[in-house]
Amino acid sequence: MNRFRYELRLLLRSRVAAAALTLLLVLSAVAVGAGLSASARQTALIDRVATAQARDFAAATTQYGKPDGEAGYAAYYTFHLTSDRPSSLAFAAMGQRDIQPYVLRVRLLGLQAQLYETETVNPELALPGPFDFAFVLIYLAPLAVIVLMHDLVSGEREAGRLRLLSALPVTPGQLWLRRAGVRLMLVLLALLGPFLVGALVAKAPIWGVAILSLVAILYVAFWAGLGLMVGAWGRRSAFNAATLVGCWIVLVLLVPALANAALSRAIPVGRGVDLTLAQREAVHHAWDVPREAVMAPFVAKHPEWKDKARVGGGFHWKWYYAMHEMGDDGVAGQVAAYRASLAARQAWTERLGWLSPAAAAQSLVHRVADSDLQAHLAYQDNVTAFHRHLQDFYYPYLFSERPFTRKDFARAPVYAPRGSSSSTPVVPLLALLVLSLSAWAGGVVGARRTVS
Amino acid sequence: MALEAVGLEQNYGTQRVLRGLTFSVRAGEIYALLGGNGAGKSTTLNLFLGLARPTAGSARVCDVEVGSDPAAARARIAYVPENVALYEHLTARENIDYLLTLARADTAGALIEEALDAVGLVREAWDRRLGGYSKGMRQKVAIALAIARRVPVLLLDEPTAGLDPRATADFHRLLETARIRGVATLMVTHDLLGAAEVADRIGFLAEGRIEAELIAEGTERFDVRALHQRYLQAGAAA
Repeated sequence: MNRFRYELRLLLRSRVAAAALTLLLVLSAVAVGAGLSASARQTALIDRVATAQARDFAAATTQYGKPDGEAGYAAYYTFHLTSDRPSSLAFAAMGQRDIQPYVLRVRLLGLQAQLYETETVNPELALPGPFDFAFVLIYLAPLAVIVLMHDLVSGEREAGRLRLLSALPVTPGQLWLRRAGVRLMLVLLALLGPFLVGALVAKAPIWGVAILSLVAILYVAFWAGLGLMVGAWGRRSAFNAATLVGCWIVLVLLVPALANAALSRAIPVGRGVDLTLAQREAVHHAWDVPREAVMAPFVAKHPEWKDKARVGGGFHWKWYYAMHEMGDDGVAGQVAAYRASLAARQAWTERLGWLSPAAAAQSLVHRVADSDLQAHLAYQDNVTAFHRHLQDFYYPYLFSERPFTRKDFARAPVYAPRGSSSSTPVVPLLALLVLSLSAWAGGVVGARRTVS
Repeated sequence: MALEAVGLEQNYGTQRVLRGLTFSVRAGEIYALLGGNGAGKSTTLNLFLGLARPTAGSARVCDVEVGSDPAAARARIAYVPENVALYEHLTARENIDYLLTLARADTAGALIEEALDAVGLVREAWDRRLGGYSKGMRQKVAIALAIARRVPVLLLDEPTAGLDPRATADFHRLLETARIRGVATLMVTHDLLGAAEVADRIGFLAEGRIEAELIAEGTERFDVRALHQRYLQAGAAA
């Protein structure tokens, strides 16, 4: 304890080290605050939309829920609310939640045209991502570690104390490892302190908090190990700092950016809006073809309506909704290809963790926080399932040509939020563990060879 | 033997710094190793401290082979470098306490005070940060650290370089005290006068080996003029 007190005093005497730790603490606290605030904003927005939805639904009920009401009108004008509330850990890693829709009001019309309806996001503003705990962890914490570690050994040499320290009966490995350990611990305190407070406020699950903390520890440990390895080389402090900043640029910025560019070329992924357009084109095309061309495949898919699927020459809701469903089915191949490409990119992104600890940490924190692409796809899956419930609810009225009354509105399905899709992917976790252990092994070997 | 060098050889590339260096220092003896620049004095200290491995031969500290267990050897040695640099933000007391903690030695307050007292550092300075200390005062703190460690061997690298005559005299008195306590002292120095005043034996290092060795007989000290002549001869040989 005595030694720890001295190490702490000596470290905090360095204005740069103290400033780096203070700044990291402040940034971590601000990021956690911003994350909690963003999370609360999304929740509040969902609640506001729910209130407005209730009014809208009541109005539709009044207008279309008459004793002789037509289900076709009711289904056309009634929106059903779906939403994806942020997980209790989303405050730490907002991931794609700031660019993907988390509120969708869907109708019985073709689903694919509704799934990608979202507000336009300025791509340049979206590029750096939100300022949250994950940003501080992945981009800024390594810089704080570099400030604290770059002169671990060289600082003593430059101050003229290294020879005296080397002459003490303590192995160089023990001496520098302990000092590196103190620095690592202080960075983790500055980083994780605000996060843990945020987790308490957000009532985050212990398991998720533990995994996210583990990711932070492994990631910061990687940089501390690298700092120890470079710091033990015997070069000057300025050289060490430049080398470590170079590593930061390569591992945090260049490798992920280059890998992203390579992945974009190797696994091209269409845009969601292209699916919307394709579905709409399919529906518009259906207006111009004989009705049999629409109704035959529909009946093949829904044999239960075989006897009630005949439509005359004029407009009929049966035909209209069959057009929409067949429009969805017409782009099913494109949807499957789109999602397969996304899954393939995701898998490669996870493998990228073997090259870049930043990529590994990023995959992990967003997966654990349930705010990544996978989480958004899980929301889409849940909306798709809900849309099927809507079809199952409305089709009997439409095909049996039963009146749709006020009481029937009350029986309409209500969207049940999806369960958490949070998970701990093994590949990036293993990659991060191996990279951290390798960096420390290199650091330990370097520290043991340190001589005056 | 407290310190023993047997056939030490040290090469740096093609440069042969030590060529079969052999000498020893007994408990309670002060041995001054004299030699010109590049004679191998610092290399000799490095080998005793385990900071370098000899190309051949062995260095022993209290019968511990330095090469096989450098930490155990260093546990028996207190080393005072030529330019004492300590932690400026800590006081003398704190510096010693911290470095004793690193050395896993006894950090009792009384022990530290006794050591500071022994080196003659004024009490008012004990709890002042080292930032304002003179070179002599820093030297005293380093020696206090050595005393507080209560080890049997003292290695001194140019201990009186830059000290004023009074500080040098104080320092020599400290060495006398250490000798009385049975501490074996090896000092590498250019200071002929100082060596003549305190050393029991003086070795002249030239061409990586002891060129000549003089022993103080009884209460007779060394003749400085003769020492100077010998030093120049050794330098010429190198």
